[in-house]
Amino acid sequence: MNYPVWYLPETGGGFLIALISILHVFVSHFAVGGGLYLIYAEKKGLKENSQPILDFTKKHARFFLLVTMVFGSISGVGIWFIIALVNPAATSLLIHNFVFAWAIEWVFFTVEIGAAFVYYYMFGRMDSRTHLQVGWLYFIAAWMSLLVINGIIGVMLTPGSWAQDMDFWAGFFNPSFFPSLVFRTFIALMIAACYGFLSASFTADAGTRISMTRFSAKWALVTLVFTLISGLWYLSVLPDQSQGLVMGKSPTIAAIQPLTAAGFVSFLLLMLVAGIVRPSLNLKPVAGLAMISALVVMGGFEWTREAARRPYVINGVMYSNSIMKKDLAALNDGGFLRSALWVQNKEVSEENLELAGEEIFINQCYACHTVGGINNDIIAATRTMSYRALVSYLKKIHELRYFMPPFVGTEQEGRALAAYIAGGLHGKEVQEPQQDAGSVAKGPALFEENCASCHALEDLSSLQGVAKEEIVAMLRTLNEISEEMEPFGGSVEAHGQLAAFLGGHTDTAQQETAIDGKAIFETHCRLCHGVEEMAPMIGNIDRQEIFTLLGRLDQLESSMPPFGGTAEEQEALADFLASINQGGK
Amino acid sequence: MNPLFIPQPDTIPVSWGWFQFLLLLTFPLHMLAMNAMLGGLAIGLAQHMCGGTLQKQLAHRIAIALPLVIAFVVNFGVAPLLFVQVLYGQFLYSSSVLMGTFWILIVPMLIIAYYGAYLYDFRFTQLGSAGPWIAALSFFLLAAIGFFFSNNMLLMALPEQFGDYFSHKNGTLLSFGQPQFWPRYLHMLLGALAIGGLFVALLGRFRKDLHPDLANHAEEVGLSSFLVLTFANVLIGFWYLLSLPNELMLLFMGGNVGATIAFGVALLLAAGALFAAYKKRYWLTFYHAIALVVVMTFMRSWLRSAYLKDVFTLDQLQVVPQYSPMIFFFITLVAGLVCLGWLIKKTRDVFVLEGKQG
Ligand code: HEC
Repeated sequence: MNYPVWYLPETGGGFLIALISILHVFVSHFAVGGGLYLIYAEKKGLKENSQPILDFTKKHARFFLLVTMVFGSISGVGIWFIIALVNPAATSLLIHNFVFAWAIEWVFFTVEIGAAFVYYYMFGRMDSRTHLQVGWLYFIAAWMSLLVINGIIGVMLTPGSWAQDMDFWAGFFNPSFFPSLVFRTFIALMIAACYGFLSASFTADAGTRISMTRFSAKWALVTLVFTLISGLWYLSVLPDQSQGLVMGKSPTIAAIQPLTAAGFVSFLLLMLVAGIVRPSLNLKPVAGLAMISALVVMGGFEWTREAARRPYVINGVMYSNSIMKKDLAALNDGGFLRSALWVQNKEVSEENLELAGEEIFINQCYACHTVGGINNDIIAATRTMSYRALVSYLKKIHELRYFMPPFVGTEQEGRALAAYIAGGLHGKEVQEPQQDAGSVAKGPALFEENCASCHALEDLSSLQGVAKEEIVAMLRTLNEISEEMEPFGGSVEAHGQLAAFLGGHTDTAQQETAIDGKAIFETHCRLCHGVEEMAPMIGNIDRQEIFTLLGRLDQLESSMPPFGGTAEEQEALADFLASINQGGK
Repeated sequence: MNPLFIPQPDTIPVSWGWFQFLLLLTFPLHMLAMNAMLGGLAIGLAQHMCGGTLQKQLAHRIAIALPLVIAFVVNFGVAPLLFVQVLYGQFLYSSSVLMGTFWILIVPMLIIAYYGAYLYDFRFTQLGSAGPWIAALSFFLLAAIGFFFSNNMLLMALPEQFGDYFSHKNGTLLSFGQPQFWPRYLHMLLGALAIGGLFVALLGRFRKDLHPDLANHAEEVGLSSFLVLTFANVLIGFWYLLSLPNELMLLFMGGNVGATIAFGVALLLAAGALFAAYKKRYWLTFYHAIALVVVMTFMRSWLRSAYLKDVFTLDQLQVVPQYSPMIFFFITLVAGLVCLGWLIKKTRDVFVLEGKQG
């Protein structure tokens, strides 16, 4: 809201971030682990006094240089560009807080570049002791830049006490700093082994190919085990909410978990079979498959890590849509649009309802939803929801779906957003829920407002015919059916109405009249009589008699005027009074 | 008056002067590396197309150096981009979003240009006549990246344009329609080509004893392109000055003592560099030119604060002091420089040894 939103409705910024960062991370971890791999491959060549292995190492170093220096470093700059475009507020906050961490990382990056060039261009020209030292310098610098970045990325997921005082060191050494550092180090080594495996498959000399394939696969399997262990450690330090998301509550995460698992298994099998048991199987396509598997695993991890801090971009501090958590109350009171900088509609009125709604959408929902795109399309997500359903859904969006930030703004702004989605995007009718005292919400309306955001009526057809009381009981304990639901929050009456509607009970019509009758009671009688005192008064008088009596109340008691409503109202009131009587029995 | 769209800046951990110092320290490095890259590539390309043996040798030598230079252009660019975000984030993030679609295109363009440079280097001979095409593609992409940078750096200084966001929500707002855009961009570009000439001469001098002919040729080409291009660039510089809004122009003509002195010094340095190049005094030209680039970056920074002074001055940034990370940074920086020094020494030892062996 402080920064403009780069609005590509069908693409969505999140998709661009994911695209650039998954590729970058796959290469940048190689840039770290690969350094160590080169050192050990060179050492192996020296120890075995094998020129082919040294040649392999040099060729691999060239490949390493081309991949990490060009793609790795430029895509790293690319991440910086894309996060600043998609999430300028969070980027600015982090850059301003951690500017010297980035500056330190830059120093290591510079040393890394220098060492990588010297390592490659001086291969075979420098004495091997110095050359290995250059390799070590490279690896240490690269690992240090991982360490620094790890501190900054970690603060977004587990800010710890930084969230309160924004103390640099508290943020940098945040609760997940060490587990994540160890985890990433092993991932880096594993990926480096994978690249080594790939390089080996391109090696002409059969002996070297087999020897380097085994070398790489062993390396990969050992680090894989440690990656798993440290991954569990990492998971264990996450806050409960994030753990819940990782363990299945986030549809975003759940959707890619099978893929990640498949990548993992495939990688494991390839390394075992084509690496250890029969290294001669390491042909180019096999190695390519191993690369893809590792990329999938890495991508799965990064995706999960990003999604695990939803609905925040900086956990507990700033929501994904750049709204600061601490500003919520003020925005709800003062209005979102009025405090947002980059909007044209500062006030919502009947004329600009949908336009204002669109601006709210762009500023609050577009961070995760596209409009008509593939990635989490808002149109698809709201297909079954009417305007009224949306209005009430928006009020509890965060309570229903933890991974979404709460809607921020006034009632009126909520209606504008609902109008934009229902009216503007779907062309559905935009009609205010009636709120005058005479008509009380009925079954279908209750369904629409409370259930329709997640359930189509057909989905609940199994409730048809179930006893009303049973459905009422169920509505009270929805949380026992699924953790994602809350018990229905309506009044006792609303429970009955909703249950009757869901059960398809024919008395729905009567029910409704009874309710109308009650409203009439409220307007016409309530001034002097409470409902409770009516039951004994009515006693055994039957409905028809009640109806007649209502017409001449003055005869019962001179201070009472006769009922002055229409004939239907008189009917309804009679129904209502009769039903009290039955209830009292 | 139209409403201004300027976000609230975040707080900074140390006084703004430190960031300004670091920005002005690192930005000239980026400029010089960028100049070597763009100018070197352009001259290499021209040499390659001229066709003689010596020319081709020079082109090849440039091609070999190019990937290294690009790596340092990027690296030396990261630091000033970081510090300028700290100082002017509220403008720079906004303007970047306003041109977001082009801004992000820089990344794939740079990757392609960079791989092009490596291809041109590693396959210089095999590529034959395709080589110059690849080099030309890389040059075009790099110059286009410069074009986008110029757009953003100008746009960030013109917050009164930010309201155009509402007609460019997809991030396609550029600023090349502004009167000062083209002279500004051309001034940068021509300056880069000129300084690139000095870089080419420097490359030729490297291991002069092995290749005296090449060294002389490189120096000849480098100095003469520097001379011609710098002369032209002085004219463009005046065009740029005149294209500025009046009060900004006057800043350098007495309006502000510091800016005027800097401008005067720059003019003297330019004259000195031209004279030295004319006299074929390489190192004299070189030092004048370096100093000129540094003074120019100072003037540029002056200009930016003048553009923004009605809406923002750096002392408005709120400081929430925490100095220890900066101290840590300086320690790391020294350690890093020691490591780089060690790498250079070890590499030079290799060259010395190889030189002795012939
Ligand atoms: C932090 C990211 C995020 C933000 C911000 C966000 N959503 Fe969602 N939204 C999601 C995810 C993830 C889903 C679930 C997608 C799925 O089920 O596959 C979702 C689903 C939905 C659904 C489908 C119903 C449901 O409960 O699953 C609706 C409707 C919806 N969002 C509306 C909105 C609106 C309106 C806004 C803006 C006020 C918004 N969202 C903001 C992430 C977000």
